[in-house]
Amino acid sequence: MEQLINDLKSQIKEALNLEELSLEEFDENAPLFGEEGIGLDSIDVLEIIVLLEKNYGIRLANPKDGRAIFQSVRTIAEHVQANRKK
Amino acid sequence: MIYVLSTNITSPLGFTTEENHQAVLSGVSALKRQEGLWGLPEPFAASLFSEEQKAELAIEGYTFFEALAIRSIRKALTYTSLGNASSRIVLILSTTKGNIEALGEELYYPSKAAQRIAEAIGLNTKPIVVCNACVSGLSAQLLANHLLSANLYDYAIVVGAEVQSKFIVSGFQALKAVSEEPCRPFDIERNGLNPGEGAATIVFARTTSEESWCLLDGAVCNDAFHNVSPSPQGEGLTAAIETVMKGRDKSKLATVCVHGTATLYNDQMESKAIEKADLSDIPLSALKGYYGHTMGAAGVLETILTMRATDDGIVLPSKGFTEVGVSGKVSISEEPQPTNKTAFLKIMSGFGGCNVAALYEKTTDNSQRTTDKAKFLKTHTIKLSSEDGKTLTDIYKQQIGDYPKFYKMDLLTRLAFVASELLKKVSPREDFEGVTPVILFNHSSSIVADRQFLDTIKDAENFFPSPSVFVYTLPNITTSEIAIRHHLCGETSFYILPDKDEALMQQILEASLAGTDTPTAISGWVNAESETSYECELSMYNII
Repeated sequence: MEQLINDLKSQIKEALNLEELSLEEFDENAPLFGEEGIGLDSIDVLEIIVLLEKNYGIRLANPKDGRAIFQSVRTIAEHVQANRKK
Repeated sequence: MIYVLSTNITSPLGFTTEENHQAVLSGVSALKRQEGLWGLPEPFAASLFSEEQKAELAIEGYTFFEALAIRSIRKALTYTSLGNASSRIVLILSTTKGNIEALGEELYYPSKAAQRIAEAIGLNTKPIVVCNACVSGLSAQLLANHLLSANLYDYAIVVGAEVQSKFIVSGFQALKAVSEEPCRPFDIERNGLNPGEGAATIVFARTTSEESWCLLDGAVCNDAFHNVSPSPQGEGLTAAIETVMKGRDKSKLATVCVHGTATLYNDQMESKAIEKADLSDIPLSALKGYYGHTMGAAGVLETILTMRATDDGIVLPSKGFTEVGVSGKVSISEEPQPTNKTAFLKIMSGFGGCNVAALYEKTTDNSQRTTDKAKFLKTHTIKLSSEDGKTLTDIYKQQIGDYPKFYKMDLLTRLAFVASELLKKVSPREDFEGVTPVILFNHSSSIVADRQFLDTIKDAENFFPSPSVFVYTLPNITTSEIAIRHHLCGETSFYILPDKDEALMQQILEASLAGTDTPTAISGWVNAESETSYECELSMYNII
């Protein structure tokens, strides 16, 4: 699980061009949205959806289903763990 | 104000305005579900030309996009005579992706297509391409109004055209904006837009001797909120509508022809703006249920259909709508409604946070009015180029450094953004506030982002269209990034020209700013061909 979380952090940092966020300070429990957390927006979510399909074979047709999944890197990792196809 | 001499719509529903009008009146829709088209893994509904129609419209030596525009213009011109002073006729082409299928060739450049279209119809003036995403078709008409009112030309041929492709559809699918079923504008069940293709032409004149439709006025206001999502409260659209309707009698309106893409966010936002602008009791017409979203053509096509229907005393029914699914108070119906009024409002909102409202009226008052061009001083200019020996990232790190979104931008947007930041450093603070317009020009459109996006879709085994890259395949995103950064809620426009023609850019700016009360404007040339070939010259103008 910890390995998966670390993989996801670097994949998200690269896909979303989070240039100024270091992997050390990227907290897997921090909320991904809003000013309290990482501060992602709606396009970033769509980009994470592409990333999950590309790297783990997980398809998420409706972004509305993603609300629970995209709370933090940890919730994404849990979803990947349970649903990955590759 | 400018006058409509003639029109044409060339769509899958017919090749003349009249055929299209009759098809819409009889309730026909061109939307069909597509599965596996262009190798796209997800189905979608779209309005596309059939192979037979394509063969009929094709012109040897031209791409289908060019042929479509040429056919539409020629049809429109058969109903009118423009005389032979062709130096007083300008072609304005409205498109979002033009010849995108020719990426890698000279034909890709939108101004190249515009020049070929202009030559084919016998014009020798330099064409102007309007690339303002979804609102382009209205922006193009407002540009015609500015140029003719400033007496720079006698006639403007405004043609909006779009041909659908794997490129555009996969991008909108990556944004989760496309519906598999025919779209349902303003409906509770709406779940996305349908791509559509077609061309539409309006020939405008400075004056006419007959009763005719007139483009009275228009306004452009940016949300300064997000590149793709409209501001939920619709402030920009409300402001655009209120600017146009100020001092005018709303009871004259037969209809408000809405954008009505049938995405959740667009229609909801429009309903809010309509209520706030006190137009809840005016019947709406949403026309995407017939044609889908014809993108660069939409603003022209929907304006023509609304004129034609209003001529017949009809408010067009909103196909696909059955039950209200928006929270702003609106009057919308799936049935046609009679009207005896002869004016209407057309509104559109699109990527790049841009909102446009335009007011049309049928009139016998056809006097010529010439507006004084704006006079301004160029107070500061920032020049950047790939020859500088410093990358944009270097400049960002050394002189800006507080906007991590920089790293998400494509090269063209980085270039415009860095230049605007440097311009801000040397300009008084009030120059970067309020409704300061951002009007940019280039030649290469969004070629760098287009190449990047194409890389994500060209391999069927590795087909992962990138939503964030697709956003930047609309060059007017450069204007919204600047608007968002500085909360600028005025006009944003992006024009593509055959070359860096400073005289033409100045004319467009002078004409566009005539009669506005903004004290400043940001404008200039922002061109990025590749990491090793880019150029920007951005200036702050003070209007005197």
